[in-house]
Amino acid sequence: MSRNKADLILGGLVVVLALLAILAWVPNDSATGMIVKQRGRLLIGDAMAPVVGFSVVALAGLLIIVEKRKAGLSAALSPSNLRFLLLFIGIFVLSILLMRWSGPALVTLAKAAGLTDHTYRDLRDTIPWKYTGFIIGGTTLVTLLMSYMAGRVTWRAVLIGLLATFALIAVFDLPFPDLLLPPNGDT
Amino acid sequence: MSELLNYIWLGVLAVFQGPEIFSLFGFGIPAAPVMVLGGLLTGIAVGATPGLAGPMAMAASLPILISVFGFTPDALLPVFGFLIGIMKGASVGGAVPAILFNMPGTPDALMTTLDGHPMARNGQPRRALRIAQLSSVTGDTFSDIVLFICAPFLAVVVEAYLDLPEKTALLILSISFVAAVMGGSVGRGLLSVGLGLVAAFVGTGQALTPRLTAGVDGLADGFPLVAAILGVLILGEIFKGIEELAHEKAAARAEARADGPRLRDDLEKGDIRRIAPYIARSAVIGTIIGALPGVGSTLAATLSYSLASRRHAARRRDDEPAFGKGAPEGIAATEAANSAVSGANLIPVLSLGIPGNAAAVFLILAADSIGGFNPGPAVFKFTAPEINPELVTAFGIFTLMSIGNLLNWTIGGRFMRSMGVLARVPGQILLPVVLLLTLTAIYVQETSLFAIWVTFAFGLVGYLFRRIGVPVLPFVIAFILARPLEQTAREAFAATGGDPWFLFSSLTSILFMVAAVASVALLSRK
Repeated sequence: MSRNKADLILGGLVVVLALLAILAWVPNDSATGMIVKQRGRLLIGDAMAPVVGFSVVALAGLLIIVEKRKAGLSAALSPSNLRFLLLFIGIFVLSILLMRWSGPALVTLAKAAGLTDHTYRDLRDTIPWKYTGFIIGGTTLVTLLMSYMAGRVTWRAVLIGLLATFALIAVFDLPFPDLLLPPNGDT
Repeated sequence: MSELLNYIWLGVLAVFQGPEIFSLFGFGIPAAPVMVLGGLLTGIAVGATPGLAGPMAMAASLPILISVFGFTPDALLPVFGFLIGIMKGASVGGAVPAILFNMPGTPDALMTTLDGHPMARNGQPRRALRIAQLSSVTGDTFSDIVLFICAPFLAVVVEAYLDLPEKTALLILSISFVAAVMGGSVGRGLLSVGLGLVAAFVGTGQALTPRLTAGVDGLADGFPLVAAILGVLILGEIFKGIEELAHEKAAARAEARADGPRLRDDLEKGDIRRIAPYIARSAVIGTIIGALPGVGSTLAATLSYSLASRRHAARRRDDEPAFGKGAPEGIAATEAANSAVSGANLIPVLSLGIPGNAAAVFLILAADSIGGFNPGPAVFKFTAPEINPELVTAFGIFTLMSIGNLLNWTIGGRFMRSMGVLARVPGQILLPVVLLLTLTAIYVQETSLFAIWVTFAFGLVGYLFRRIGVPVLPFVIAFILARPLEQTAREAFAATGGDPWFLFSSLTSILFMVAAVASVALLSRK
C-alpha cells in the first residue's frame, strides 16, 4: 500500500467513524443533549463535550487527507506489524488468563485430591496459594515474550521469568501486607 | 514581600520537618530529601540503561511510594521528591551510554552521541562524562531558577486577570498548540488530541446516567487515569520495543574503544571557560522551549547544537576538534539544552495545571492519586493569616528541586560515571520484565484485572499510534485536561447567562482563540 493511499484510508476512516459517533452514538448514549434548560437557565449538557471531541477527530481526519506528509511518515501497518500484534495479543491474553485462573484451578485439583477443603477465596491470603496465579501468569508472560524475541524457547527465559516474579513479590508483597498481587483483588 | 518569604520558609520547613523515614543516633531523618536522593540515583541508573526511561521508573514507583506514604497530604512531598529525583537523574544518566557506547540512553541524549562518543573513542570518556554532567546540571539549575520566579508570577497574573471564559480559551489554546507542534503532522496531532478528549469523556458527565459507556458497567466511572496514561505512554513503547528487538536479534552493539593514543582523561585546563558561553546560550534556549507545553527536549538539543555549531565554526582554532569530532562545546550545548527543558516544563503545570511533558504528567498523576494538591493557578494564592497548604506544597516542591540540583552537583557525577555497565543489560530481558512490573504496579493501585485489560487496550492504542506516526503525548495531555476544560466551559457558559459566544466575550479570550486557530492553521502549512 502506498503511503498516500494509506493516509487517504486512515483519514477517510477517521472522518466516517467520527460522524457516525456524532450522529448515532453520542445522542443515544448521553442522558442529556448538547444544551439543556434547567429552572429557566441554559446549561451545557452531557452530549456537548463528546460532540466537540469527535468534531476535533473529524477535522483531524480531513487534515490527514489533505496535508502534505513529512518524509518517513506512513499510516500503513505492514503484514509483519499485524502478525506481531496477533501473536502479542495471544501471549498477553494467555498470560493474564493463566494469572487469573491457575490459582483457583490448582485449588480445585487439590480439593479433588483431598488435600484441602477450602476454596481459592479462602486461601488467597495464604502462602503458597496467594502467589500461584501471579507466578504462573507472570512467568508465562516474560518467558514467551523473551522466547519470541530470541526466536526460540530457552530455560534461561523461564528462569528469568521466575526470578522476575519472585523479585516483584519481594518488592510489592513482602513489605506491604495491604497490597494485593494479581489476581487476588478479583477472586 | 514578607508573605512571600514566609511561604518560602514554610515550604522549606515542610520538606525538612515532614514525616521521618528513619532515625539516626536519635535524630529523625526527614523522608522528602532522602526520597530526592533515592529518586536521583534511580533516575541516573534508568537513564543510563538504553530501553528504559524516566517515565517507566515513575510509573513503577508511584504505587510503591503511595503504599509507603499513604493517601494523606503528608505523603505529597516525599512522593514528589522521588519523582523529581527520577526526572533530574534520568536527564543526566541518558548521556552515559550516549558517550560510552554511542547509544542514547534517553531520546534527548541523541545529539550527545555526536561529540561525546568521538571524545570517548579518542581516549577521554571521563572528560566527556564530566563535561556532560557539568553542562546538564547547570542547564537544569538555571531552568529551575526561572521556574521558581515565573510559575508564581504567571499563576498570580492568570488568577487576577483571567475569568472563566478566558481560562476556557487558554485551555483550548494549550491543547491546540500541543496538537500542532507534536508529531510529524498537525492532522495526526489533532487526531491524538481528539481521541484523548473523547476517551476522557467516557463514563463522566453531570447526568445520573454515565455517558458513552456502551452499556459496560465497568466504564461507569470512566477509564482509570493510571490505566489510560500508562497504557498509551509506557506499554505502547514497550510493545514497539519488543517488536523491534524481535527483528534485530543479531544487532551488533557499538563498543567504547579508544582509537588513538592514551590521553589524560579528565577536565582540562580551560575547559570550563570554553564551554561556559555554550552552556549559557543553550540553557536559555532549553528554558524557553521547555516553557511551551508539548515542545520536547529533542528540539531544544537540536536547535542548541546547530546554533553552537555555527558559533564554534566561526571561532575555532586549528588545534581544536570540530563539531562531530569530539568538541567539548558540542556536548555542552546539547546537554545544557535538554536538561534546561525539564525545569521549565513544570512552569505550565504548576502555574496553569497544563502538563507539558511525561514527567509533568506523572506529577499530576501523583497529586490526583494522593489528593490535597491540585496544580493550577489557585495554588499560588498568598493568603494570610490563614495558611494556604497548597502554596506551602508548591514551595516545598521548589525546595526539593533545589536539593535535587545540589545532590546532582555533588554526587551525581560520581554515580553517573559508575553506570556504564547498565548499557550492557539486554533489552530482551529488560522489556518483558518492565512490562510485568508496570502491570503489577497498576494492579496493586487499582486492584482489578479490568484495569489491566484497559491498560492493555490503551497499550495497543499507543503501539498503533507509534506505528502510524501519531504522537502519544497530545493524547495523554488532552485526556488529563478534558475534564477541567469541560468543567470550566460549563461554568463559563452558565456564568454568562448561556451566551453561545462566551469564548469571544473579551479581547483576551479572542486573542487566545485566534492563537489556537492560528497554531493549527499555520503549522499545518509548514
